[in-house]
Amino acid sequence: MQFDLDDDRELLRSSTRDLLEAEAPLAQTRSLMEDAADGYSKAFFGQLAELGYFGLLLSEEEGGAAMGAVGLAAVLTEMGRVALPGPFLESVMAAELLRRAEGEAAAGLLRRLLGGEALVVWADREGLAGAEPGPTETRLESGRIRGQKTFVPFGAQADALLVTTTGGVALVARPDAGWASTALPTLDHAQRFVRIELDGPAELLTLSDAALDEVRRLGSLGAAATLLGLMDRSLEITLAYMAEREAFGAPLASFQALQHRAADMLMKTETTRSAVFRAAWASDEGEPDAAFLVAVAKAWAGDAARRVCGEAIQMHGGVGYTWEYDPHVYLKRVKTLESFHGSTRAQIEAALERAPIAAE
Amino acid sequence: MDLRFTDEQLQFQADVRAWITSNLDRPWSEHVADARHTPDSLVEVRRQWQKKLHEAGFLGMGWPEEWGGRGATEVEQALFEAEIHRADCPQVPNFLGIGLLGPALIHHGTEDQRRRFIPPMLSCDEIWCQGFSEPSSGSDLASLRTRAEPDGEDFRITGQKVWTTFGPWANWIFVLARTDLEDRYGGISFFLVPIDQAGVEMRPIRQITGESEFGEVFFDGALARREHLVGKPGEGWRIAMTVLGYERGAATLSNPAQYDGYLHDLIAGVRAQGDLERADVREKLGRLIVENEVMRSNGLRTLANLAAGQAPGPESSIEKILWSEFAQRQSDAALELLGPQAQLAPTSRDARGGVDWAYEYLWSRAGTIYSGSSEIQRNIIAKRVLGMPTR
Ligand SMILES: Cc1cc2nc3c(=O)[nH]c(=O)nc-3n(C[C@H](O)[C@H](O)[C@H](O)COP(=O)(O)OP(=O)(O)OC[C@H]3O[C@@H](n4cnc5c(N)ncnc54)[C@H](O)[C@@H]3O)c2cc1C
Repeated sequence: MQFDLDDDRELLRSSTRDLLEAEAPLAQTRSLMEDAADGYSKAFFGQLAELGYFGLLLSEEEGGAAMGAVGLAAVLTEMGRVALPGPFLESVMAAELLRRAEGEAAAGLLRRLLGGEALVVWADREGLAGAEPGPTETRLESGRIRGQKTFVPFGAQADALLVTTTGGVALVARPDAGWASTALPTLDHAQRFVRIELDGPAELLTLSDAALDEVRRLGSLGAAATLLGLMDRSLEITLAYMAEREAFGAPLASFQALQHRAADMLMKTETTRSAVFRAAWASDEGEPDAAFLVAVAKAWAGDAARRVCGEAIQMHGGVGYTWEYDPHVYLKRVKTLESFHGSTRAQIEAALERAPIAAE
Repeated sequence: MDLRFTDEQLQFQADVRAWITSNLDRPWSEHVADARHTPDSLVEVRRQWQKKLHEAGFLGMGWPEEWGGRGATEVEQALFEAEIHRADCPQVPNFLGIGLLGPALIHHGTEDQRRRFIPPMLSCDEIWCQGFSEPSSGSDLASLRTRAEPDGEDFRITGQKVWTTFGPWANWIFVLARTDLEDRYGGISFFLVPIDQAGVEMRPIRQITGESEFGEVFFDGALARREHLVGKPGEGWRIAMTVLGYERGAATLSNPAQYDGYLHDLIAGVRAQGDLERADVREKLGRLIVENEVMRSNGLRTLANLAAGQAPGPESSIEKILWSEFAQRQSDAALELLGPQAQLAPTSRDARGGVDWAYEYLWSRAGTIYSGSSEIQRNIIAKRVLGMPTR
């Protein structure tokens, strides 16, 4: 048995950390939140493409790195630590859909996605109200797609969308006039969600429901891994602040009330690490309980990260409530990831349904 | 990463499971629900169960062969404990002897001590209890005041111990006592003391469950022989602290395995009463399932680190808080979801059978107190793992 990453994945993890520190540190996340219309650095994503990051899960024959879900989780944990903005997980998920689809259109788009020439995201959700996605009503009829998708991540910038319709997933290229999209600005200032009206040509992809579930599950796992990174770094930032800030003539870190809460933050973070990497490993190995373990990891990570990143603000005091300090950046991303890729409540229900001990 | 058990390990697990099936005549919960039992007869059930486990070679499995061991790996021990906990077996009376004193003797004892004490400890012909806590020294254990004064070659022990689990049935007690009143840590020594002697009085203490599983022990010049001192005078603290770290792997999977059984019982009860489709109930149950599975993931991580020959990381220092606080949430939820029937005494004709949730509810209050309370565990995490300073 071995919990640690193997050499290849450890190298991937550490080189990802180095890359992010050099090219996409938190300071850059901050300035992208403020200024960039796109919400992320296309230049950095070009670099990621060049380094093969979008093909992490593809086999070597497909031109990928075959790092599996464990490798992806390691990368996303690092990205969470700098709250990297941009459609990374979305791109990986789109690649996973495209590789499962047959036909030249999908294969061609996959090549462009991997090469960083095309941004492709999955427009899966409909409905605005409620914690869970609404029913799919978007239709594809005689080569024409009609409907409305909500909370499409980075949809306005996408070169192509993979759209869930009543009849399956359709590939839609960006119309010449651009998408008929409306921005959905959320509390997470680094997100670029849009609502998109679809009324134009589209092509149905051959994708089974099982394939969609697999890719959704990958999204849940990826979100959980990102949440892990967010809380890991929030705890570090908070410990550093508490060591340095003094009150009543002593560092905050010496107050027992805060020590116990820091211990709870550590527990949340480390249990999430255990849950995320076990779920990733089980996914790679095709273990029968992989889907259950992913639901467990996402449900746990969402709650844990919200607590840890909320505590980070509390322990910073007044400065924790300022735009200038970093804790809010983390909490905001947590709120996004908690709500999408299977809400916490939906994952709890999935865990109950799949739990071996709950069987009759 | 590799969290898979080998074929050999899985075979071992299957063997243990099969052995339990053919050797456990009656689940523990049925004994408890049997009004004919007395506290003493229940202890006898536990003693007989320990004998069976010992004869099958399952106790002290990680110890050297001459002391009953079979050189079992951490993984095998963890699998064994998980199966035992899953199966509603009686708990062995000598769990403190085997868990703490055995390793202390193996690592710090003399050959004569091992030869004299280990066989009857494993066979349960002698029951051991642990005399560490005192009325004024619990969390701050090193402040203990029980004294051991030289008497010729031997020692005379005077003082009081308390919360001594299984004391009312024990033949021997391992005691931390002061051989030096000044030196806080270096003045503590580790003694093996027979209880059946003038100068030792054991009084049972009634617990919130109504039973008297622990007691208080008064020492008034009780004799502790020189050959029953473990290690040298003044080494007691170090020995007591290091034994807590041995055989860490064994418990990594046992709590989630036990709680699997409990949650299964709870879900079956909720289903039978027709509440399983209620959204609020489902969320409560789902959260418990999630948390228990996360504990198992965390335990597998500790175990994998141990199996790979690495020191366990931060995940292992949080284990005690995880299971003890989970057990409270779990029994709390069970009493809420199952209603007042679950509060009935198990011997009541109208009791629901299965897990005795009322008992679990009360007993779960102990887990956050003994073996380092939740507060002490958090102090340790803050200081040792997070490096936070003392005021
Ligand atoms: C069921 C049961 C079985 C036991 N079996 C045994 C046994 O077999 N042998 C044995 O020797 N002992 C045994 N104990 C005793 C157990 O180890 C002690 O109860 C425990 O160490 C706590 O000590 P105390 O009871 O003196 O509480 P105290 O130390 O007085 O603690 C009271 C409260 O204050 C908190 N507290 C104390 N110090 C701090 C601090 N520095 N920071 C924050 N909070 C603090 C504690 O967490 C607790 O909540 C048993 C206890 C129980 C409940």
